[in-house]
Amino acid sequence: MRKWILALAAMTLLAGACAQKTPPAANGSPSSSGEKNQTAAQCVDEYKADLFAPETLTIGTGNPAYKPWYGGKSEAGSEWKSGDFTGDPHSGEGFESAFAYALAEEMGFSEDQVQWAAVTFNKSTAPGPKDFDFSMQQISILPKREETVDFSAGYFDVNQALIANEGSPAIGVTTLAGLKDLKLGAPLGTTSLQAIEELVQPTQEPGAYPNLDLALKDLKNGQLDGVVVDFPTAFYGYADTVVGQFPNIGGEQEQFGLAFETGSTLVECANIAIEKLRDDGTLDALKNEWLEVDASVPTFS
Amino acid sequence: MAPDRELSFPGGPPVVDPGAPGGDRRSRILGGGARNTWIAVCSTVVFFTIAVFVIVSSPGWPAVRRSFFDVQEFTYAFPEILAKFGRNVFIFSVSEALVLVFALVLAVMRSLPGPVFAPLRLLAAAYTDLFRGVPTILVIAMLGYGMPALGLQGLPDSDLFWAIIALTLVYSAYVAEVYRAGIESIHSSQVGAARSLGLTRGQSLRHVVIPQAVRRVIPPLLNDFIGLQKDSALIAFLGYTEALLRAQIIQAQDFNFTPYVALAVIYVAITIPQARFVDWLVARERTKRQAGAEL
Repeated sequence: MRKWILALAAMTLLAGACAQKTPPAANGSPSSSGEKNQTAAQCVDEYKADLFAPETLTIGTGNPAYKPWYGGKSEAGSEWKSGDFTGDPHSGEGFESAFAYALAEEMGFSEDQVQWAAVTFNKSTAPGPKDFDFSMQQISILPKREETVDFSAGYFDVNQALIANEGSPAIGVTTLAGLKDLKLGAPLGTTSLQAIEELVQPTQEPGAYPNLDLALKDLKNGQLDGVVVDFPTAFYGYADTVVGQFPNIGGEQEQFGLAFETGSTLVECANIAIEKLRDDGTLDALKNEWLEVDASVPTFS
Repeated sequence: MAPDRELSFPGGPPVVDPGAPGGDRRSRILGGGARNTWIAVCSTVVFFTIAVFVIVSSPGWPAVRRSFFDVQEFTYAFPEILAKFGRNVFIFSVSEALVLVFALVLAVMRSLPGPVFAPLRLLAAAYTDLFRGVPTILVIAMLGYGMPALGLQGLPDSDLFWAIIALTLVYSAYVAEVYRAGIESIHSSQVGAARSLGLTRGQSLRHVVIPQAVRRVIPPLLNDFIGLQKDSALIAFLGYTEALLRAQIIQAQDFNFTPYVALAVIYVAITIPQARFVDWLVARERTKRQAGAEL
């Protein structure tokens, strides 16, 4: 009998040892000194214990990182390979990369203090501690998603658009009803897919792809009549033509936000920085610099 | 452990443990006695209570519960995923039927005797080596995205078609090996006997070797089929909305992993009965063989 008790005790200890992982650092304690006029840098200074790595802003984004969000040439030693359609976040080129460095500066980090972590879209959606401070990869703010992560204020207003190659029956279509019988596709996890399902309500099931590359492959192979992407991406030569843009889903303006671990105190700091960058016109300037869109593309009715 | 199983100590007197308070060592090993049952029950209950307590009291548990075990999300996702699971069933059923035939051809090719058939043997061996070596998802991706790109007239470009072909190619390599093991396990005297009865080589293979071989390999064959059924989820990679892709879509939309749990439940529900069926087959085969040996 004593052996049994010993064995049980051992199991208990073992199980207990597994549970002794460090609790999450950020416990979302409301800031007592949260004065209105605090700058983003002061805010970060106050909560610097919550940074993933000391004195460093660690930003997660996808690999590959697609244009026009990430541009430039790969830097030596970088995990990201630049190509016709992909860029390197370290370059500071492309809307999100440029925005990230502007945001970091506002939050009191020098260029060298910005670290990039390759994080899949799925990884940024998982609960629990993250190995980055926030994920920046064109993540749309949706109420359901806010149950798992904390979003910053929106930094970009986005619409969805349909792209197609010459010869596709999608070309020339101007109404949502006209798209109904087409075979459309979009990358997984995007609101693009939602646009197809909710706005077009197609008779053929839409294709959902692990990434944009694979959706474009099927577009090229003729298995898809069109691919839905976000509006700025549509103008980046992924297909021959931008057929049209979609109205807002559910009538609300869709926005991209930064995704933080739930309860992260740094959200507050990022929000101060984003507000500042919007007010002083930086966000608009970045948009004009990196995103070439043709606003005259018709909206499907 | 089955309580009615006989455990014997061949070639020795019954071992008596002098330290044992009651009964001999054998009954303790067999877990006979009510006392032992009680210990087993208590130990199990205590262990799982602790395990559950440790998980539930961990700091991240509320977040994990919300992300993986959200009841509302489950009720929404489960029927959606189940509706698409029919496609997986179709894919693996068709694949399994094709594999049964194709793998047997491969196995027979590889077991052909004589120098004339050397190229066939070589071909079959190269095939199994190749397709057992390449990860299934790569075969699916190469066929699913590569073949339609060829633009050949008459070549289907449906994801479903190429997914079934890919799974058949890969699993035929595994199952061919299983068949071959079965064929080789049939004693050569059986072929000798068949040949001496006037059967040709082909006839003895068909009427004597293969029927026995197939019966013998049914359990490992079903194991491979369970693997195939699970791998039918890899077709999600082609953008074909089967159960896994449906789960992924909901997960990515809601940032909630409960749909994966829902899909896991469905898979477990179909694979466990099959696993039990295999166990039953193995047990039946064993009793039969033992009965045969006693005759």
